[in-house]
Amino acid sequence: MTSILTLCVSTHSSIPRSGLELLAAARSLSQQTDVGPVQMLFLGSGVRELAPALIHHGADQVLLVDHPGLEHPNDEVVLGIAEKVVRQFAPRVVLLSHDDLSGGHVGPRLAHRLKTGIVTDCTGFAVQDGHIRWLRPVYGGKAMAYMCVRGPVQIVTIRSRAFEPLPADPLRTGEVQEVPLAPEALSASVVVVERVETAEAEGGLSLDRAEIIVSGGRGMGSAEGFSILHELARVLGAAVGGSRPAADMGWVPHSHLVGQTGKIVAPKLYIAVGISGATQHMAGAGSSKTIVAINKDPDAPIFKLAHIGVIGEWEKIVPPLIQAFQEMRSR
Amino acid sequence: MHIVVCLKQIIDPEVPFHLFRIDPVAKTQIRGSHPLVISSYDEVAVEVAIQAKERFGGRVTIISIGTKETVQALHQALAMGADAAILLNDPLFEQTDSFGKSRILAAALRKIGDFDLVLCGRQAGDVEMGLVGPFLAEELGIPCATLVANVVSANGRVRLKRPTETGCEVLEAPLPCLATITNDESNVPRYASVKGIRAAMRTPIPTWTAVDLGLDTATLGEEKRIEIDEMWIPQREIRCELIPGESAEEKAQNLALRLRQMGLL
Ligand SMILES: Cc1cc2nc3c(=O)[nH]c(=O)nc-3n(C[C@H](O)[C@H](O)[C@H](O)COP(=O)(O)OP(=O)(O)OC[C@H]3O[C@@H](n4cnc5c(N)ncnc54)[C@H](O)[C@@H]3O)c2cc1C
Ligand SMILES: Nc1ncnc2c1ncn2[C@@H]1O[C@H](COP(=O)(O)O)[C@@H](O)[C@H]1O
Repeated sequence: MTSILTLCVSTHSSIPRSGLELLAAARSLSQQTDVGPVQMLFLGSGVRELAPALIHHGADQVLLVDHPGLEHPNDEVVLGIAEKVVRQFAPRVVLLSHDDLSGGHVGPRLAHRLKTGIVTDCTGFAVQDGHIRWLRPVYGGKAMAYMCVRGPVQIVTIRSRAFEPLPADPLRTGEVQEVPLAPEALSASVVVVERVETAEAEGGLSLDRAEIIVSGGRGMGSAEGFSILHELARVLGAAVGGSRPAADMGWVPHSHLVGQTGKIVAPKLYIAVGISGATQHMAGAGSSKTIVAINKDPDAPIFKLAHIGVIGEWEKIVPPLIQAFQEMRSR
Repeated sequence: MHIVVCLKQIIDPEVPFHLFRIDPVAKTQIRGSHPLVISSYDEVAVEVAIQAKERFGGRVTIISIGTKETVQALHQALAMGADAAILLNDPLFEQTDSFGKSRILAAALRKIGDFDLVLCGRQAGDVEMGLVGPFLAEELGIPCATLVANVVSANGRVRLKRPTETGCEVLEAPLPCLATITNDESNVPRYASVKGIRAAMRTPIPTWTAVDLGLDTATLGEEKRIEIDEMWIPQREIRCELIPGESAEEKAQNLALRLRQMGLL
């Protein structure tokens, strides 16, 4: 029997949202094709008790690798385990999350080892005459493409937020199978020798958790200019993000870069200040419920992509905006 | 340390949306009058390589599968401070997918022979598959580190800085190895100096063909595993509501009111 295999690497002994998104994508694929049931290869340390939740969210079978050596899973180790499992179970489709290291690292190398095709960074799929066509932005989101894979198994990485996790169904049943791990499977040639934690302290509230995000771009002009966005964020209880120039100039930490190659965010309100609205930036901000643009150039592309626009210089608009929000708060 | 950077030249990705065109039959972007540039992460990779050379010694070679026009991009990388550049050019190369591209680059690296560190961009700035780097590591059978921002030390082995969600980590890898490069504040590409540009124009750039690389010309274009089935430009539907106001203060106040009305605050 064939199957769809999803791969999820647990961090901090929890199920990452991306894993649930993969299960949602796999369920939808399973319904529309005959590729079979949904398996999830789930790796981590002390994660055994999370397996039922994976079933509730859509897995038919959990292939569990629970080992203390996987507390900080190494890409190469994950690759080795994934290769072994894929060879053993011979799924027709393997889904990985694009936005963590497993997508960019494990997916391509796995495809190369299995001499099979791969499509990265997919946001959807369509089934036509039994063939799966993978939907994917190209040219920084200026165009869309359907891509097809040739080979014994289709390896596909999925962009975060492209699929919404399914609500947990406690009545769903499935099977958990432990996958034994040989000690040598934990060795790798590229190893992490040091971890430095900084960004969270610098950047304040994380972009993932924030309901409101205030983002600044090159138009903020300087780090000093950027500080007013922190003030705006404070009154709104918002997180601060930035475009690539803002991140490259060190006005926001790189972990707070929003866009196709940064964070893909989906807050209820996204306020973009001094950002032109390049497709690569909007790829990260486009899922926000409401996008507000503040820009002095009425022809800036962002005024075609935002729901609400304010034409003007931020120097003149943001200070009274902060004041207006403060007054609303105090009333 | 001999660092080899794999560089792709692409149509300027900053072309505004309204000038962007595709050929739906060929399933690719139409060049039009747009300039060609070094794919941005590859330019960052050149910067990382030159910084590593400056700190730890060695030399930097650039290789690119491209056309005659790609010489311009190679000159730019030389002007930034690379020591040598090689153009990989053959009509056969154009027919290949990411698997084929990595085979061509692997053949070139084997011909170069004495490389220690290979750098690729995390993804090309056009179709952005992000495949050639990891594929190339597999072709060469060398270790691979992805999403690296800089070289921290080089001393028989390399240490590489990789930005993470909450800071960064340092990876250690044996040589030779391959790293795919992402941007951070430490690797913003430099401008070429006038002296650099003059020297670059005098540096000869050899061209290697499929035959020079000893590639099996019969199978090179055939083995396609990834195919673009259809390509189109999506229509954007959002109608932007412009906030009215005589003055900036009025606009700011109207915006705040509107957002409250929408229940967003
Ligand atoms: C492969 C690739 C990946 C990329 N990935 C990302 C990504 O993940 N995220 C990302 O953000 N970018 C990404 N980019 C870069 C992207 O293409 C744009 O270059 C970038 O988003 C532009 O940033 P910006 O809007 O801040 O700057 P600009 O485009 O320079 O825009 C600045 C804006 O500020 C406005 N402005 C100036 N002064 C004022 C003022 N006083 N008041 C109000 N407005 C003002 C201007 O009118 C202008 O519209 C990527 C590019 C490539 C090629
Ligand atoms: N034509 C090419 N010539 C040289 N290097 C390339 C070429 N195409 C891709 N690469 C390298 O592979 C990386 C990833 O490309 P891609 O897999 O196409 O996204 C690029 O950033 C380059 O470093």
